[in-house]
Amino acid sequence: MSGHTDSAEPDLTPILDMVFQLITFFMMVINFKSAALDMTLKLPVIGSAMPVDTKGEEDVLVMNLAPSGRLSVYGQEVDVDKYVSSEAESSRQTANRKGQDIKPGDDLPTIVVIRSDESTAFKDLYKVVKACQDRGFRNFSLKAKRPT
Amino acid sequence: MARREKPAEVRINLAAMLDMAFQLLAFFVMTFKPDPVEGQIQLRLPPPEAIAKVRTNQQAGQDTNNTNPVEGVETLIISIYSRPDGGIKSVAVGEGQVGEDSPDKIRALESRLRVILDDKDNPFKQVILQVGSRIRYDELMRVIDVCTRQKLPTGEQLTKLSFVELPEGQGAL
Repeated sequence: MSGHTDSAEPDLTPILDMVFQLITFFMMVINFKSAALDMTLKLPVIGSAMPVDTKGEEDVLVMNLAPSGRLSVYGQEVDVDKYVSSEAESSRQTANRKGQDIKPGDDLPTIVVIRSDESTAFKDLYKVVKACQDRGFRNFSLKAKRPT
Repeated sequence: MARREKPAEVRINLAAMLDMAFQLLAFFVMTFKPDPVEGQIQLRLPPPEAIAKVRTNQQAGQDTNNTNPVEGVETLIISIYSRPDGGIKSVAVGEGQVGEDSPDKIRALESRLRVILDDKDNPFKQVILQVGSRIRYDELMRVIDVCTRQKLPTGEQLTKLSFVELPEGQGAL
């Protein structure tokens, strides 16, 4: 009786190829920006809401406004005035590094993206908008859901 | 002559690499969160200007021929008054109430705006939304939606709006 057995070694190369392709896919579609979005907010549904188009301009400031008027950024509750002041300064410095000449008090190029819950009162929204306007932000984007 | 020996076959153990690749794959699969389908309304919101301003840097009494020292800034004012529950109680364009008897005030506002903005003799330089402090965001967005769908007599889309808050108590018409 022969004691010889055939060794069965599967060829792992194709499965490795496939796994690397899957990894590449997930790496390409991963989106760290979604961490800035508070998914508990219920946005209003508006027919003419357009898909997000930053026109190559990636300088956006995302703010989430809860029904209670609480402003949160990356899941942290923030003070409106302090936060907007520091972001305005940061926006100005970023724009100046890109070759623009923006002085304190000038209009800032950053787009303020406001994601507000549908039941948030106008006085809370206005507080945020006013704070942004006072510090030079002019371009706003109000988020809404598109009808399905 | 001695026979040349066959070179030893080098076999890389791919199992370890596959393990690592699967771990990376598991990480990306578990952290994968597709973007929500969201839209937006883009606005340019300058702070509201005074609806009348003094003519070009004049001091009082400087120009004796000037009988009208105040220059009007053509402004369309839309007022939205709130109900206690945050809904829209009434809407007014200028001083005229819109859709008084209509249950759908937004549609009435749209018709009124279309009539006003189609008139080439109305060169509005700014649109101010005076909004009751209790108005909910969804109701406000319906009004903004109507406004941003309008075209100015110049053919441009209306995107330049200003907000003013109407304090509580001034919410009734």
